[in-house]
Amino acid sequence: MSQLPAGRRLFRFPWRTAAQVAADVDEELAFHLDMVARVLVEEGWTPESARTEARRRFGDLDGTRKVCRALDARKEREMKWMESFAELAQDLRFSGRQLAKSPAFTAIVILTLALGVGATTSIFSVVDGVLLRPLPFPEPDRLIRLYPLGREGKPTAFSVLNYLDWRQQSRTVDAASLLDTGSVNLTGTGGDPERLVSAWVSPEFFSVLRAPLLAGRGFARGEDSPKAPKVVVLSQELWKRRFGSDRGLLGHTISLDGKPYTVVGVAGTNRWPATVDLWIPFELNKETLEPKNRGAIYLSAVARLAPHVSLVNARAEAQAIAARLAAQYPESNTGYRMDLAGMQTFMVGDVRKPLLVLMGAVLFVLLIACVNVANLLLVRAAGRESEVAVRTALGAGRTRIVRQLLTESVVLALLGGAAGTLLAVWATRALVALAPERIPRLREVGVNGSVLLFTLIVSVVTGILFGLAPAIRASRPDLSAVLKEGARGSKGRPAVYARSALVVVETALAVMLLAGAGLLLRSFGELLHVDPGFDPKGALAFNLAPPTPKYEKSEQLRSLANALVERLQRLPGVTAAGAAAFGRPLDDNDFVLSFNVEGRPEAPPGQEPAMRVAMVTPGYFRALGLPLVRGRLFTAEDREGSTKVALLTEAAARKFFPNEDPIGKKIITGWSENGVARAGEVVGIVGDFKQSTLDSEADPQLFLPFDQAPIGYLTLVVRSSADLRTVAATARARVHDVDPDLPIYKLQTLEELVSSSVAQPRFYMLLLGGFAAVALALAAIGIYGVIAYAVSQRRQEIGVRIALGATGDRVARMVLSQGMALAAIGAAAGLLLAFVASRGLRSLLYEVSASDPLTYTAVALVLVVVAALASYLPARRAAQTDPQLALRGEV
Amino acid sequence: MPKTPLELMQGTVAVLILKTLSWGPLHGYDVSRSIRLRSEGALGLEDAALYQALHRMERKGWIEAEWGLSETHRRAKFYRLTEEGRRALQAEVTTWRSYVTAVSKVLETA
Repeated sequence: MSQLPAGRRLFRFPWRTAAQVAADVDEELAFHLDMVARVLVEEGWTPESARTEARRRFGDLDGTRKVCRALDARKEREMKWMESFAELAQDLRFSGRQLAKSPAFTAIVILTLALGVGATTSIFSVVDGVLLRPLPFPEPDRLIRLYPLGREGKPTAFSVLNYLDWRQQSRTVDAASLLDTGSVNLTGTGGDPERLVSAWVSPEFFSVLRAPLLAGRGFARGEDSPKAPKVVVLSQELWKRRFGSDRGLLGHTISLDGKPYTVVGVAGTNRWPATVDLWIPFELNKETLEPKNRGAIYLSAVARLAPHVSLVNARAEAQAIAARLAAQYPESNTGYRMDLAGMQTFMVGDVRKPLLVLMGAVLFVLLIACVNVANLLLVRAAGRESEVAVRTALGAGRTRIVRQLLTESVVLALLGGAAGTLLAVWATRALVALAPERIPRLREVGVNGSVLLFTLIVSVVTGILFGLAPAIRASRPDLSAVLKEGARGSKGRPAVYARSALVVVETALAVMLLAGAGLLLRSFGELLHVDPGFDPKGALAFNLAPPTPKYEKSEQLRSLANALVERLQRLPGVTAAGAAAFGRPLDDNDFVLSFNVEGRPEAPPGQEPAMRVAMVTPGYFRALGLPLVRGRLFTAEDREGSTKVALLTEAAARKFFPNEDPIGKKIITGWSENGVARAGEVVGIVGDFKQSTLDSEADPQLFLPFDQAPIGYLTLVVRSSADLRTVAATARARVHDVDPDLPIYKLQTLEELVSSSVAQPRFYMLLLGGFAAVALALAAIGIYGVIAYAVSQRRQEIGVRIALGATGDRVARMVLSQGMALAAIGAAAGLLLAFVASRGLRSLLYEVSASDPLTYTAVALVLVVVAALASYLPARRAAQTDPQLALRGEV
Repeated sequence: MPKTPLELMQGTVAVLILKTLSWGPLHGYDVSRSIRLRSEGALGLEDAALYQALHRMERKGWIEAEWGLSETHRRAKFYRLTEEGRRALQAEVTTWRSYVTAVSKVLETA
């Protein structure tokens, strides 16, 4: 690189263009020919023939010209590259020296950038893992999810028959599988009974995903027949945890819900659904295929599109099939519609928006960090004006100086980016640990190649972004002014304006983020104050799933529930205990039935009223803390064989009996036992409670006595004045007394239940709040920096003022008001921005308007306080200026 | 003076030019004339080959060029030997001498 002698680099001629290179070659050759011709003329040739002779003697003139031009052009290019490299090396060395000279400045800049880049990178790694990275299956874009649409156009579920009809008629998919998730009890195998997450799927399932199995095989055609031997595929995780990755397990049976299943395979690491422990073929037995069950919807479907079929074509086909099914089975399918979506799109559905909001927010934090660094660089540039002026005067070109300054800022950005990456690795781990489970694919999140590439790009772009303005400004100082003033540098107003503008920008951005975080905080506060309808203090809940062969008959279930409740009630400190099927509050499981009120005309098919139904024991209401509003609760007398009764929540009474008293009315559910529809007389009304989430309305709910309608899954709730941890342990023991093969799952206190139901909004609020705090801190540093600099530049003027009689207070007020003015402009702009941007937050807000005046006022106040604090220190220093020293220019 | 000049062997052009330039900067025409004079017309160095060799060596960094004024007060491109070129010349001369010695020995013993 340094083979060029130093002198040459300094006094080099400007680089030649390709045309100049060619002209030089031509001139050189022309000179030669002229010299030869001249000699010939002297020897007596005529000028004409001398020229011809000279050309003849030269040889291949055109060839030589070409060769020489090519050689020279190449040489020129090489020289240019070499010089660029030499200059880059020089710039880098110079930058390193400059940065090392002011370690405090360098450290602050790197820290600021690390914060911005680190936060951006960690959020991006989540966005990348959840939204961007393709699913870990071959040709993942061919995987789709299919679903019927409910009345409000939201995805609902398939019934077995509707799914099978679609599968038979569809020509656009290669393979498809239905999917039902639930849980099974694993017993035996030398360990505690365990509740496992299970998926019931079609035999085709593994060829839909095309995910290779780790061991054994997937399901074979016909294994969904009730006559086929029962088989199961385990997840790798379960295989390892419970069976020590024993290959000998293949071909052997394990006991699930008391029935033997042969293990035929182990799924690979890329499993789907991600939480599933094992897969079992969905049995197409007589009961599931019964025509009257066409209305029983509970299945999802996944499929792989056939080659060359577009999503649009597949959707059109699904819609056509749905229309046919609606016409064919009006009883159950009136208004039947179907839609589909790419598997990934479907999966990330409701986290997409909040993640993008966070990504936007974190980019604003990065922008603020950039602005702050630009501000610092401007101060530095002001201090270096004389240096730049001297270099310009000595002949350094403007682009050369801009390039040097840019190199410096890119070096800073890369250092900041490196520190930010370290921060991001740590922050991403923390994020994944803190994130609520409902965010899909979180396990796949990590800092990886594409994330690092993103960080690198972000760092370089930020370096150029925050470096360009100061560099351009610094490259054109008023030469004579600066040189005349000597080392002091110029105190031009434009520099102050530029820096003030930057502070206004970052204040505005910080206010916008603060407003967003404030809105989420307010919304979260509202959420915490929502009355769940039940009393979360001093009670716990857990679930049991009695397996079918053992508890197939109603009597068996009835005696199980009663035995459990009775034992739990007798525990010390327990004030109430109850069991329910589908009555767990704030839960995903629901059981919705259509119904009719006796004496009312039958509604047309597809338009029957429907509501949630739960079967509960008498003690359930007291255990949960649901108040009785009117009438009576269930009693022990409401048993099998006695008059069928029912309870409604207030919401159900309001919705279905708007102008009459529901008590005494008979409700007939569509659910029948042995062909006889169930009817129940309403005997009372209880308070509403939140069945699914705190931020949704309490749904209308029907309660039936468990003894009169016993079914599957049980939720037990125990209210106790004793320590709930002790209660949990003893409750577990009592359950095992009744049946040692019944695993307990989802054991939570009701308070935990409430708190985990708001985990997602809390997560988003904490993140956005964190970003806003960082933004506010950076903005405060920015304000402080500008005011402190302005004060230092105005020392003499302030000295004059004090000498002329201005009090320290007055000077302080003047400085303070300068900072407050900047903050006020920034805040006003920020509130305007927030007003526009908060529209994006609307779907994340609960009971708070996106333009909530309280939040906006609070944010403005916070900013005013912070700005006042940030300007206070320089203001106090200004007030203490010694006029004598200042006037003599000694400070 | 023989009627047909000797054909030049590969690589000899470079060493001739380097040697010629080792006495001082010259433009292409003078390099050509100087070689012809010193070899008393025995070496048939074609101008086309000369110029191509000059540019090739300039790219290699053996010689460098600068525009100047010729005796006739015209702009001419003057070539000058670089440090690197001087080293190349020494190497070439050594090689050439040992080659000549070896060949001569064989011829003399015949």
